Amino acid sequence: MIQNSPDTVIVGAGAAGLTLAARLAQAGESVVVLEAGAQRSTSDMISSQIWARKLKWSAAAVEESGTHPVGHAFNAGSGTGGSAAHHYGVWLRLHQEDFSVQRDHNRSLDWPITYQDLKPYYDRVQDAIGISGDHVAEVWRPPGAPYPMPPLPVFAQGRILDRGFQATGRRTAPLPLAINSVPRNGRAPCQFDGWCDAGCPIGALANPLVTSLPKALSAGADIRYDAQVIRVLRDSNRANHIRAVEYAQHGKRHQLVAKRFIIAAFTVQTSRILLNSSLNKQPAPGNRYDQLGRYLTTHPAGTIFGLFDDETTPHLGVSGGQLLCHDDYANKGQTGGFGSSQWLIANAIKPHDLLGYGTSRPDVIGGELRPWLQRAAKHLANMTLVVEDISSPDNRVTLSEVRDDAGMPKAHTHHDIAPEVANRWQQRIDEGEEIFRAAGATEVWHGPRVAMHIMGGTVMGDDEKKSVTDTFGRVHDTDNLYVSGPSLFPSSGAVNPTFTLTALAERQGDHLLGTPVNDALHA
Amino acid sequence: MTAGHNRRDVITGGAAALGLFLIGGNQVWATPSQAAARNFTPQILTQSQSQALSTLAEHLVPGSAKGGVSAYVDTQLKAGPNSLLMAKYVGVPVEQQKGFYLSALDAVASAISDKPVAAVAEAMASDTVPGWQGPPASYVFFLLRADALDVTYGSQAGFSDLDIPYSAHIRPETAW
Repeated sequence: MIQNSPDTVIVGAGAAGLTLAARLAQAGESVVVLEAGAQRSTSDMISSQIWARKLKWSAAAVEESGTHPVGHAFNAGSGTGGSAAHHYGVWLRLHQEDFSVQRDHNRSLDWPITYQDLKPYYDRVQDAIGISGDHVAEVWRPPGAPYPMPPLPVFAQGRILDRGFQATGRRTAPLPLAINSVPRNGRAPCQFDGWCDAGCPIGALANPLVTSLPKALSAGADIRYDAQVIRVLRDSNRANHIRAVEYAQHGKRHQLVAKRFIIAAFTVQTSRILLNSSLNKQPAPGNRYDQLGRYLTTHPAGTIFGLFDDETTPHLGVSGGQLLCHDDYANKGQTGGFGSSQWLIANAIKPHDLLGYGTSRPDVIGGELRPWLQRAAKHLANMTLVVEDISSPDNRVTLSEVRDDAGMPKAHTHHDIAPEVANRWQQRIDEGEEIFRAAGATEVWHGPRVAMHIMGGTVMGDDEKKSVTDTFGRVHDTDNLYVSGPSLFPSSGAVNPTFTLTALAERQGDHLLGTPVNDALHA
Repeated sequence: MTAGHNRRDVITGGAAALGLFLIGGNQVWATPSQAAARNFTPQILTQSQSQALSTLAEHLVPGSAKGGVSAYVDTQLKAGPNSLLMAKYVGVPVEQQKGFYLSALDAVASAISDKPVAAVAEAMASDTVPGWQGPPASYVFFLLRADALDVTYGSQAGFSDLDIPYSAHIRPETAW
């Protein structure tokens, strides 16, 4: 059944998809967004780490393999807002050196654009969405406009951990957050209750439900839920032209014809949809040179925990943290491993769930547990390490032999960690424990190495033999098929990706609407 | 504010937060702790598996048996793709959870049938349970302890027990 034919079909109602839906609809285009998950509103964001699991990926499970699996079930989301509905609002810019890792270090891939190309979009998005921070204190920050809001306050946990950074000769700055520190643009300020993972129903945290979604809807975008896109369909007369998407909804298959298609279904599902679009021995879009799905990256991450005699009030604040340290960021080639790294310091924390302190100590059981938890509830501190991954063609998304309920092959991800990245992770973990001891911790431990964020698979580049899309996310061998989101990242850097993917989406919006790209605004 | 809710709005989470439990031969809406107190009949787990889970969980996280850990796991497994068990984050997709838990709890039941639960728990943590048949014992230990933590300390009552302000933006009607 062929339904109406809008100007643009966007696949995925997450941060990238809704940013573009708002831009294009506001410019007068007819836009349909197909979202595989359920419709959600802020009233679905129940303050509970158990209820919060409803926001995570709940469709067909992704098969995972490798020495460092990407953790799709934890990192992905579904429904309105996608993974950004449960993101922590840590909005950092990639550093200038993140764009040239191949050229500088003979590792990963280079971006086909520079920081200067993206800077105007970082500034535009920062002003539109709102970021709280202190650009002066953040001495490592690449050039850019000052933050439009003052930083969020630093509570006892942050002040105590800061002692350790100072004692070991390191610097800290307030963590830049897409969370209101003051009322702004009709959105309330943060209340520091640490429920970011469960969504933010008061609208302080910039999840798409309170930023791009209202703009898209008011401009007339049509968002269709429970609509799982199966594949894109080429025009039979023009092989480089996509005619329609095929999607499953309520047990039926549909086709939707449009002038333009944007796949913004988050990293793994974007590759899955495109890989599943191969037909009659014709390669899938963007896959003439077997590049589709490759260069899958994830940030190796870990948490340092410690107990202090001081009261730390670790329930106060936001999940992303209070302070930032990028002292080690620029030195990717430092002895001991490879890659940039950052510390997100003094995360608000709960007693249970995967990231909770109770879960971090499986050795504490029985009669010892309750007094231990009671002490930790007042005296625990923690911080999160994020390490750069190395892009490798062998880390990739492929299609499984197993099909989901809609008959679509499931996705399989394979991700191995490079030994030098694993070494960097261990090196920083050891340093993190030293920082905790310098801050006065009486007991220090760390959690396992985990995967945070998922990027790559449809990387952008100038050379079709080494990438899937051009610098604006247009799939190389097509004239009307685009990709948006973190799957475009040729390399991962070591910062949280949502700010960058939103800036990229804004840049794509300018390109698609014919607005002069702000390359002339180079600082 | 134009979007969202006022700070710490108290709204109800809806009846879906409750589970439908078989109690005394009748289907009854109840929370897991209520179901546990009224000797519910598990619908996915066997009585042996349910009892093994309660026994081990209570040893690991005191209060979790009374809190309804068996009813919690049973009702989440019954929910299928809507399961909220933490297992899905650490390598047990929702479509595999039933088989995983049934196999794991059979192994636990077998182990505690002839040894004290404390000895079994210690051996599970180090993957040294003699004759263990099931998913890796230390992995099962970690997950069942996490489930017990969810039940005991993942609620407003659990936070209160630890003297942590819950400070909900939207208060859940029940813990899950």
